[in-house]
Amino acid sequence: MLMRGLRIILPIALFLGLIRFWEWSVVYLEIPPFILPPPSAILAVFATDGASLLGSAWTTLGTTLAAFTLATVSGTALAALFASSRIAEAALSPYAVILQVTPIIAIAPLIIVWVGLDNAWLTVLILAWIAAFFPVLASATAGLKAVDPNLRDLFRLYRADFRQTFIRLMVPSSLPYLLAGIKTAGGLALVGAVVAEFAAASGNTDGLAWRILEAGNRLQIAKMFAALLLLALMGVVLYAILSFVEWLLLHRWHGDRRHA
Amino acid sequence: MSSGLRLDRLAKTFPNGTAALGELSADIEAGAFVSLLGPSGCGKSTVLRLIAGLEEPTRGRVGWPQTRGSLGFIFQEPTLMAWATATNNIALPLELAGMAKSEARERARVALEKVGLAGFADALPRELSGGMRMRVSIARALVADPDVLLMDEPFAALDEFTRGKLNDDLLRLWAERRFTGIFVTHSVFEAVYLSQRILILSGRPGRLVADIENPAPYPREPGYRTSAAFNATARDILDALEDVSTC
Ligand SMILES: Nc1ncnc2c1ncn2[C@@H]1O[C@H](COP(=O)(O)OP(=O)(O)OP(=O)(O)O)[C@@H](O)[C@H]1O
Ligand SMILES: [Mg+2]
Repeated sequence: MLMRGLRIILPIALFLGLIRFWEWSVVYLEIPPFILPPPSAILAVFATDGASLLGSAWTTLGTTLAAFTLATVSGTALAALFASSRIAEAALSPYAVILQVTPIIAIAPLIIVWVGLDNAWLTVLILAWIAAFFPVLASATAGLKAVDPNLRDLFRLYRADFRQTFIRLMVPSSLPYLLAGIKTAGGLALVGAVVAEFAAASGNTDGLAWRILEAGNRLQIAKMFAALLLLALMGVVLYAILSFVEWLLLHRWHGDRRHA
Repeated sequence: MSSGLRLDRLAKTFPNGTAALGELSADIEAGAFVSLLGPSGCGKSTVLRLIAGLEEPTRGRVGWPQTRGSLGFIFQEPTLMAWATATNNIALPLELAGMAKSEARERARVALEKVGLAGFADALPRELSGGMRMRVSIARALVADPDVLLMDEPFAALDEFTRGKLNDDLLRLWAERRFTGIFVTHSVFEAVYLSQRILILSGRPGRLVADIENPAPYPREPGYRTSAAFNATARDILDALEDVSTC
C-alpha cells in the first residue's frame, strides 16, 4: 500500500519540482523565451490560443482513433484469416511485413498522389492506419499460434468444428497477446497521425502537427510546447484507457496462464 | 457402457524418421483396466494418440467393435482453459457435442462433486492446487461418460500423497462407470495398484515385451500396496523391465 502511494506521489512530486526548477532557471539564467519559454508562458498560451489548439487536438485525436479502430479490426481479421488458412498466410504475410518496414514518411507522397491533395485527411488516416496495423496483426498472429497444443488436441478429440475451436479456444488464448498489440497500436496510431500530418498535410488539415509547424515558423516556442503538451497528454490518456481495458478483460486469469 | 478395442500391428514412424512405435498388437477387453509401462520415449504417448485418432498410424490399425467408442483423454498436464471456471471446463465436452448450456453445466457440477470439489464450481484453474486441477481434468474426461478413458501419466507431476488419493478416486470411478481404462505410467507401483493387466514396452521403437496379469481382486484398498500379492506382481514387472534397454 505504501509502495502504491509512492508510485503515484513520487512522479507527481518530481514533476512539480522540475517545473519549479525550469521556471526558476529560465528567469535566473535569462534564457530568451524563443529558445526555452518558462512553464508559466506555456500555460498562458492556452488562454490566448486555447481554442485553436484544442480544435487541432480534436482533429488529430479523431484521426488517431479512426486509424486505431481500423488497425484493430483489420489486424485482427487478417490474423484470423492467417490462422484459418496457411495458404493465405504464406501469400499475404510478406506484404504485411513490407508495409511495416517501409517508413510511412516515405510512402506519404505516393498516398497523396493516389488519394489527391483535396483529401488530405484521408491520406493522414491511411498512413496512421498503416503505422498502427502491424503490431495488431503480429501480436494476434503470435497469440493464435501460442494456443496450448494439448488443448487443441482436446478440441479435436471432442470433434469441435473450426467455429467452436476459434471462439472457445483461439480467441481467449490469444487475447493477452492481442491486447498487448492493441496497446502498442494506440500509441503508434497517434505517432502515425502526427507524422502523416507533417508529411502530407501542410496547410491542408489543421491537426496539431500543423500548429507545431506554424508556431515554429513564427518562433512562437511557447505555443509549440503547448501543442507538444497536448500530444503527450493524448498519448498518455490513450495508453491509460487501453491498459484499463486490458486489466478489465484479463485480471482474473492473467499472469498464471502457463500453469493451467 | 464400455467398449473393447484391438491394437492390430500398430506402428508409427514420424515424418522426421523417428520410429516411435514398432509393431504393437493387443486385445483390450471392454471394461478392463490396462497399464502401459516402458522406458521414456518408447512410444507410450504415441499409442494413446493413435487410439484417440489424434495421429494416423503408419501401419496397422486400431480396431473397434462396430464404431469408435466415445473417448476421454487425461493428459499429463491438467490442460484446462485458464479463462474458464472449473464448471465450464468440465462442461466443455458436452457443450461441444451440442448439449444445452444449462444442462451441460448442471452435469458438470455433478461431475465436480464426484471428484470431491463440490465447493469449487466457480474457481478458476489458477485458484486451484495442482492436485485439484488434475481432479477437474478427470471430471472433464468422465463427464460425457466415455467408453474408453485414455490417461497419459496423469499423476506424474503430483506428490506421492496426492497421487495415492487420486489413484483411489480413479479406481472408485472406474468401479462405478466401468469404462475401459488405458493408463500410461512410469511407476511400476502405480501400474500394479491400478491395473488388471500391464503391458510392457521395449525401448524405441516400442514393442510389446511382456503382458502381465494382475489377478488381485477389486476393490483394492491402500493396504494392498504393502501386501505379498502386490510385491509378487511388482517383482514380475521389474524382472520384465530388466531385459528392456532404455532409449
Ligand atoms: N510429433 C512428433 N514428431 C516427431 N517425433 C515424435 C513426435 N512425437 C513423438 N515423437 C518421438 O517419438 C518417440 C516416442 O514418443 P512418445 O511421446 O510416444 O514417448 P513416451 O513413451 O510417451 O515417452 P515419455 O514416457 O517420456 O512420455 C520419441 O522419441 C519422440 O521423440
Ligand atoms: Mg509420453
